[in-house]
Amino acid sequence: MNNTILSITIALIFGIGTFLILRRDIIKIIIGLSLISHAVNMLIVSTGVFDGEKAPIIAEGYHGSGSGIIFTDKLSEGILAPIVPPGTETPFVDPLVQALVLTAIVISLATTAFILILAYRIHEEYGTTDVKKLRRLRG
Amino acid sequence: MNIQEHLPILLVAIPILMSALMIMLRSRPTFQKTLNIIVSASILLMSIILLLQVWNSGILVYEVGEWGKYGIILVADLLGSGMVVLSSGISLLALIYSLDYIEGKSLNTTYHSLFNLLVAGLNGTFLTGDIFNMFVFFEILLLSSCGLVVASENGGVTTISDKMEATFKYLILNMIGSMVMLIAVASLYATMGTLNMADLSVKISALSDAGTMPWHIYFIALLFLIVFGNKAAIFPLHYWLPDVHPTAPSPISAMLSGVMIKVGAYGILRVYFLVFKDALFLLKPIIILLALITIAIGAIAAVGQKDVKRLLAYSSVSQIGYVFLGIGMGTAYALAASLVYLVNHAIAKSMLFLTSGGIIHHAKTRDMHHMGGMVKSAPLMSSMFLIGAMSIAGMPPLGGFIAKFVLFDAAMLGEYYLPVLIGFAFAVFTIFYMFRAWLLMFWGEARDFEKYGPYSSHGPSPMITVPIIILAAAVLILGVYSEPLISLSSEIANQLLNPQPYINAVLGGSVR
Repeated sequence: MNNTILSITIALIFGIGTFLILRRDIIKIIIGLSLISHAVNMLIVSTGVFDGEKAPIIAEGYHGSGSGIIFTDKLSEGILAPIVPPGTETPFVDPLVQALVLTAIVISLATTAFILILAYRIHEEYGTTDVKKLRRLRG
Repeated sequence: MNIQEHLPILLVAIPILMSALMIMLRSRPTFQKTLNIIVSASILLMSIILLLQVWNSGILVYEVGEWGKYGIILVADLLGSGMVVLSSGISLLALIYSLDYIEGKSLNTTYHSLFNLLVAGLNGTFLTGDIFNMFVFFEILLLSSCGLVVASENGGVTTISDKMEATFKYLILNMIGSMVMLIAVASLYATMGTLNMADLSVKISALSDAGTMPWHIYFIALLFLIVFGNKAAIFPLHYWLPDVHPTAPSPISAMLSGVMIKVGAYGILRVYFLVFKDALFLLKPIIILLALITIAIGAIAAVGQKDVKRLLAYSSVSQIGYVFLGIGMGTAYALAASLVYLVNHAIAKSMLFLTSGGIIHHAKTRDMHHMGGMVKSAPLMSSMFLIGAMSIAGMPPLGGFIAKFVLFDAAMLGEYYLPVLIGFAFAVFTIFYMFRAWLLMFWGEARDFEKYGPYSSHGPSPMITVPIIILAAAVLILGVYSEPLISLSSEIANQLLNPQPYINAVLGGSVR
């Protein structure tokens, strides 16, 4: 159920972003690009959620008991949290996709900053933010 | 410590460090210029050493952080290191050229720094073995090239508002392309659980052999065609190129047209022939179709241009179609031919763009109808433009002839008769538009250029002429003595079609 709602949300954001990119106003285009990049980031995060499978981090010499997951470090026993005993099935997330999303967010921050400055300069040069009026280049 | 093992990371790290250093050195322009030239030359030297090492002792794998296949790896195989040699050679010459061509204020503050970032992005793209890392280097390439397109040149033929408009188109379209690449990479990771290209190749082959390949792998492959097609400006995605390449300053046009659009071709060669080799039967006809339409559209549009750089940009669109035609045929000979074509086009087109910069300085206009009779007042530029035009058109003693010859030969051997016919017809178009441009600019009634700026009186400086002459010599040498390039390309093509050594080299190392 949650996955369905997440997918629909991503699709909606993507659709709104695409709609905004097709507008005539430069600022709307930039907002549309940001929305699409957020939709893509959510898509990447959603690929890293697993439920009811074996967690990837498994302790070799497991000492704990109870719920199966240790959330506190026990350095004297050589345990670094979170560690899962072999055979435990628990929901977990793939940490790699979060690293990917972090990279993608930083990149989209840089591009958005650049493109906003570009939009400001275009407004200074052309006196308009309407892309239909940006037609000085032609063959 | 053996320095040769660390060459791949040095080729990426040194330009990034230099780009930070260049910002700090902005108040000492002479030292900045000298240092940047020395570093670019040493990068060229290191890339040649890397290519020789890969040629002699096989694929070199550098594990960044020593995480094995789970971390980022740099892989220098023949294709990657060969492309690095090409890009560093052209970037060194473009850098020397830009010292006199770019306006002083722009040159001292941001130009050197962004140029180093561009070199780092190119080297990283060609050397990386990790598909997400390739996305990151694509973004570095995109942002640094946007900054370079808006750099202003001496004389100010192109207005700043034109540059803004072109950069806006370039940035928006390439950002959408980046988003598509991110979607493709994420879907690939969600399906296969790895981002390492060699590992992906092994897993997809295993699934394909077992007959359980998920159907959406084909769609991911098509998404990558959009990504790399957008970079390389093939048919439905070519329309940003004729705006961006002419408005950039000439050395940057040379970099964009010579090396940047080849990044798309490199991506297709690397990703399709390594990762998606089991989906290639579906992709090859699509690539051939798009390549033929690209050839036709670029050539037809180039005929009607009056702006010299816009003509060269449309010619780039047409010529990249020939490269993709060879890739689409997919036999070893055709791949080798397309690599020969790629190298020849890169050198000839960057030389033509550099020459056009000299012509623009001389005539103070980009409109060919306002030029004429310049063969007497600018003899060097006219002869160099003629060499470049003949190479692009495929005249016998020059590199372009060898490239077209092997490409059409490969197509005939592969029995692709209709593509050969179309390619041949538009090769005739190429001769027509290149020589039309040459005749318009250099023959006919002489116009008076004395009233234009200092450049037409004292003539081009050595910093402008030497890179053009070196590139012209390279075009001539590649035409007369082309065996080394052809044998290197054949070896690369064999490696592409048989990626097992690549996979062994990447996955052979143990995780430490």
